[in-house]
Amino acid sequence: MTNFNITIIDQLIQQFEQREKKAFCINDIYYTYYQLSQRVQAIRDLLQQNPPHQLEVGLVANDDLNTYASILALWIEGYAYVPLHPLQPLERCLDICKQVNCKTILDSSQASRYTDFKVITTSLLDNKTFRPQYNKGISEKNLTYILFTSGSTGKPKGVKISRRNIAAFAEAFDQTDLHLQSSDRCLQCFDLTFDVSVQSFLMPLLHGACIYTIPHDQIKFSYVAGLIEDHQITFGAMAPSMVRMLKPYFDELYSENFRACILTAEASPLELIQAWHQRCIPKATLYNYYGPTEATIYCTAYKIPTKNVKTHHGIIVIGKPFEGLDALIVDKNNQPIAQGKTGEMLVSGDQVTPGYWNNTTLDAEAFITLTLSGKNKRYYKTGDLCSKDTEGLIYYKGRKDTQVKINGYRIELGEIEHHARKFYTESNAVVLTQEKEGNIELYLFIEHAQEDPHPLIEFLRQTLPQYMIPTEVIYQKEFPLNNNGKTDKNKLKTLIK
Amino acid sequence: MERKAIIKQLQSIIAKEVKLENVELTEENTANDVKGWDSLSHIAIIAQIEETFSIKFKLRELAKLKKVGSIIDLIIKKQN
Repeated sequence: MTNFNITIIDQLIQQFEQREKKAFCINDIYYTYYQLSQRVQAIRDLLQQNPPHQLEVGLVANDDLNTYASILALWIEGYAYVPLHPLQPLERCLDICKQVNCKTILDSSQASRYTDFKVITTSLLDNKTFRPQYNKGISEKNLTYILFTSGSTGKPKGVKISRRNIAAFAEAFDQTDLHLQSSDRCLQCFDLTFDVSVQSFLMPLLHGACIYTIPHDQIKFSYVAGLIEDHQITFGAMAPSMVRMLKPYFDELYSENFRACILTAEASPLELIQAWHQRCIPKATLYNYYGPTEATIYCTAYKIPTKNVKTHHGIIVIGKPFEGLDALIVDKNNQPIAQGKTGEMLVSGDQVTPGYWNNTTLDAEAFITLTLSGKNKRYYKTGDLCSKDTEGLIYYKGRKDTQVKINGYRIELGEIEHHARKFYTESNAVVLTQEKEGNIELYLFIEHAQEDPHPLIEFLRQTLPQYMIPTEVIYQKEFPLNNNGKTDKNKLKTLIK
Repeated sequence: MERKAIIKQLQSIIAKEVKLENVELTEENTANDVKGWDSLSHIAIIAQIEETFSIKFKLRELAKLKKVGSIIDLIIKKQN
């Protein structure tokens, strides 16, 4: 049985003893594990003296040592953080606070935007010497964080992640092929409102490694390139969208120190990833990790080989389930389907969230208990379409809601995107649908300057049936990205006239 | 090209990308002074500057393009 105290807190406390070892590099300033431990203790003391009224505490997700120390202090004391992005509209953040009903907010900013709350200005607290004693009786069911993701209704929905979830994740991560070492210099290029950030700071901390963050006012991909070269980054998780932004500059970026790179958060196109590997980080081993927020960061892993990479429509396979996690592919009636067939992927195990914050309707839709071989198991319905091959490798085939039927034909939007990317090898392609007068129309977005779409359409006609030819091709020089670094499909959709 | 002429063109590029009617800039202004000029719109702004002035910035230069004065310096340097 996993245990948060042993897997997470005791490990962190052990690392705090390495007084001179560097823990963070933030805005070109290094902080040691000792300095980190002093900030953690200062915040712990305050939480003990003025206990928040409830276990969920707002945290302004700044890019500084106090913010990371706040997360660790909250966890040691048994609280959960609810990240509030400093650059997101205040109204959205207030809606999140209201949903969770949190009254206490930890904020390292000099002037807080949260005037009607009990704000703890963590940057003003004096350093304290770390005391390793802590309350070991905190339930594994207590939460570690609540992340709000955009809901289809327009109102953000909160995913609860428990101490058990995080402990199970950390243990499973360490059992994958990727082994972090205390000598590693690790990239943390995700906002704290997105869960890959938790892997990006937590796993290096548990191994005594150093974490390099991105200041909010920097251009992420350019800053990341600087870190990779100047600080000789050895490990990092990145979204394929960021790699694509770097692509025009591949000739200007080269590092032989980068030894392990995880691609995650989006589907990974083989051509892009291979070019990234060969031209910029030739000594690295690359991994494709997949996971919904609801199953704690990652739940499948694939070590990308240098040859014979398994793909579907040019998208790299997502590999095999994490240790302790069961992945099942089912049909519309939630019945397991034959190997090789495509269906929705369900996942079960200690990494799966206890549910959404105060939303039983959503819980009823997203979770299902199946009786398999006489045993009841609770599954999360990922909404992702996948298939398994004879080796047990899982292929990602798109979102359930991106599979559309036109004239009775089932269409995978990824297939159209794949062929469009063959025509525009340097550009990204996204297909979105919109209903018009009862018909579903296909819109193909190309990340490219405006030009005559006819050669592309002619190319598509050579391989795709007529019903898969997009109604319109929309050129956009740069695709908008959302705060998680993924292509913002909602914004793209607004370009449909 | 004169600095004043460049700044005028920058004003119209930035206004268009951040969807404001007009933007008044001085050489001392940075991205933080203009509403909507965030890391996302910055990429579109850079692409637009490159196209307008027929220049190409290097990857490591992008990080320095936060201040209007530095953008102008680089444009002039690249055009010569």
